[in-house]
Amino acid sequence: ACLKENWNANAEAAELQRLIAVEQQKAQFQAQVHNFTDVCWDKCMDKPSSKLDSRTETCLVSCLERFIDTTLTITNRFTQMVQKGAH
Amino acid sequence: MADFNSSFDMPSASSSESAEAAELQRLIAVEQQKAQFQAQVHNFMDVCWDKCMDKPSSKLDSRTETCLVNCVERFIDTTLTITNRFTQMVQKGAH
Repeated sequence: ACLKENWNANAEAAELQRLIAVEQQKAQFQAQVHNFTDVCWDKCMDKPSSKLDSRTETCLVSCLERFIDTTLTITNRFTQMVQKGAH
Repeated sequence: MADFNSSFDMPSASSSESAEAAELQRLIAVEQQKAQFQAQVHNFMDVCWDKCMDKPSSKLDSRTETCLVNCVERFIDTTLTITNRFTQMVQKGAH
């Protein structure tokens, strides 16, 4: 009798943890999109027109990819610097 | 040994208490929606003021007003473009 109640409580707790993890992932994704949108809007959008032309759209896609490349470049270089500085 | 499997005698909420709780939840949801809307307007304002307003003049001319309308629509287009591309990248990266 006690075992069954414990199993139910554990299963519910595990399911709740899983749901929380899913929501956290969704929130992280949204925050990333928001950040990229801020950065690339400034870089790619001159005066907003009546439609999103292909040149601007290409710029936005490139912006997103180059921003990630840039982050990786800086991460790698800074990691090197920190590791060298620690010796 | 007592049978702990049988359900506890939980005091059940009266139907009027349940109705009040449901109404309260509804009111909270309405207020959350209003707050979300205001936050979105504030965000668009920040973005489109910077894009469309050069030196403020003595009236809101039609060119600026057109820019503001386009700005809100293009900002949403931009968000969708980036969301789609980033979703692709995440899905590819996960394999």
